Amino acid sequence: MEPTTAAPPIDPQHSSPTPDEHVFTFWPRHNAALYQALQDKHTLVEIDDDPLESRMVLNLGPQHPATHGVLRAVLRLDGENIESCLLDIGYLHRGIEKFAEVKTYQEFMPYTDRTDYLGPYSNNVAWCLAVEKLAGIEVPERAQWIRTMLCELARIQSHLLWLGTLVMDAGALSVFLWTFKYREEIYSVMDEVAGARFTVSHCRIGGLASDLSETGTALIQKFVDDFDAQLKDWKKLLNRNRIWIDRSQGIGTLTADEALELGFTGPTLRACGIPHDIRVFEPYLKYDEVEFDVPMRTEGDALARYFVRVEEMEQSSRIIRQCLAKLETLHGPIRTDNAKAAYPSKDEVYYSMEGMIHDFLMTDTGVAPPKGAEAYHAIEAPKGELGFHLISDGTGSPWRMTINSPSFANLQGLEYLMEGAMVADTVVLIGSVDPVMGDADK
Amino acid sequence: MATDLPKNAADATRTIDPGQEKQTLKFLFTPRDALAGELEKPNPHAKASTQQSDVIEALQERFGEQMLGLVEYAGEQTVYLDRAVIADACRFLKAEQGYGYLSDMGSVDRFTEADRFEVFYSLVNIERKKRLRLKVRVDEEDPVVPTITGIHRAATWHEREVWDMMGVRFEGHPDLRRMFLPEDFEYHPARKEFPTLGIPGSLPLPPNETDGSLQLDPFPRAHGDLPED
Repeated sequence: MEPTTAAPPIDPQHSSPTPDEHVFTFWPRHNAALYQALQDKHTLVEIDDDPLESRMVLNLGPQHPATHGVLRAVLRLDGENIESCLLDIGYLHRGIEKFAEVKTYQEFMPYTDRTDYLGPYSNNVAWCLAVEKLAGIEVPERAQWIRTMLCELARIQSHLLWLGTLVMDAGALSVFLWTFKYREEIYSVMDEVAGARFTVSHCRIGGLASDLSETGTALIQKFVDDFDAQLKDWKKLLNRNRIWIDRSQGIGTLTADEALELGFTGPTLRACGIPHDIRVFEPYLKYDEVEFDVPMRTEGDALARYFVRVEEMEQSSRIIRQCLAKLETLHGPIRTDNAKAAYPSKDEVYYSMEGMIHDFLMTDTGVAPPKGAEAYHAIEAPKGELGFHLISDGTGSPWRMTINSPSFANLQGLEYLMEGAMVADTVVLIGSVDPVMGDADK
Repeated sequence: MATDLPKNAADATRTIDPGQEKQTLKFLFTPRDALAGELEKPNPHAKASTQQSDVIEALQERFGEQMLGLVEYAGEQTVYLDRAVIADACRFLKAEQGYGYLSDMGSVDRFTEADRFEVFYSLVNIERKKRLRLKVRVDEEDPVVPTITGIHRAATWHEREVWDMMGVRFEGHPDLRRMFLPEDFEYHPARKEFPTLGIPGSLPLPPNETDGSLQLDPFPRAHGDLPED
């Protein structure tokens, strides 16, 4: 059979696309460049006499459910084996780095909810910490403990979705239903604590929007109690499950050197024997005052990444318990009492003129770090190192903001992991590095 | 190139001090000449991981004049290097100082006449728990930086992202395609002159109706192409 060409030959020097290109395909140059990078001469399928011997290009995504959003993987196959893989991302690119330049620091925070939307609380915390570092704002103790606790809850929230979908992709549906039940309970906690279920935006620069209510504390306590028992059951089902182990053991194996070289981060890096965790590397909030272990494996395959994340959930629950115990006795303000650095309390806003003026100024301009200030603050988000790099020009909005997102770093290495794997393993591989496209595409 | 940069750590902290520089009202904002928090206190979020004077001395010794300066703010040290030596510096830091992990990379548009673009690299020494930021500056006329993909493979996507967003090219990069935007796009949107609402017609979107034509401008009203009703 004659090879079918994917797109008409395109002259890359040609300045603007011809009308023909636009009639039939969107962005023809983009695909042409992608196939060229895959070194396949714009050919989609080459069928020789024996179809089993032929090589083909498979476009997996961006609309495939197992790609966890809009990830497009272009695979060059030799039968069932993946010869090479290119990932095409950007289908969820919203340019939020550019948005930050026209928003005040506080105004930008809801956008961070929408990057890694599976554990939005830790994105809020990462953003606030970066701004607080840039402007030198102190945060009260109680707010720091609450932030620590809710960050860990966000980690469980994110890992629950990862566990459910990964195991579902490998063929077991029931775990998905159980983990989503507990995700739903975390949503209820967030609803009580922050007033929103999904996009929480509960942090404020210099502290928090509101203190924990008694109902909120009780809900968190009940959640960790139930969750620990439940996690034991799931481990009983999966840890020695022959089918699950067969699907994940030895799949996508990485050595420690490869993982470092490819820039992997988070649980994926720790599954290769490198105990790199920002909570220990450069402690923020109260992580130097709570006891926890950093789970680590040395095998570096999909199964090791599963174990690391499951053990991380146990550790998160342990940290939440310590925070709850601490918060029982620790009372005090939840936002810094400096009207130039944080919103005044609603009492002040409604009943004093100064409060109202400061509230207006915080909304209009907000914090204005010194001109030329530059700071980077990273946290250990559920998926790895999440950092915001901020540069100030002395105004109320950043001159430039860049996001160092864990999903972006992990997806880069996924291209390498895919090479040499089988087609059936792609869904397990994608699931095991746990990308979120909102995070990777920015 | 970059003569305004300080040469040693003592000068480094001074240049940034906001009290030193009188701000002019270029934007519509309330000018402020002191930090929102207490300026006398050390930064409450400063980390021990960003202090590494011994490594910076080693860099100074190794690269001499090609190390253009050192800036410090919030306990973070940023080393400015000549772009010609950035690959050498990464190789030196990886081989002799243990900075074997590239955790972040990005670009800044300073919007100045000379040395308009900045590319920064955040290198991590996992064993010693240290993080170092390197920076190079390039002119608008010649926005080219040598690639470091040969030293840190993790830079591959980061360099593609910088090329896509800022239009800084990386010499020797194995596959310098755009990262997020399609190849058919002709602009670099993180540059300051790129409008926040986009450029009409630059990214056609699928039609709204089955047999409709492509939408060349998804925001016609915002761009003034549709009358307000």
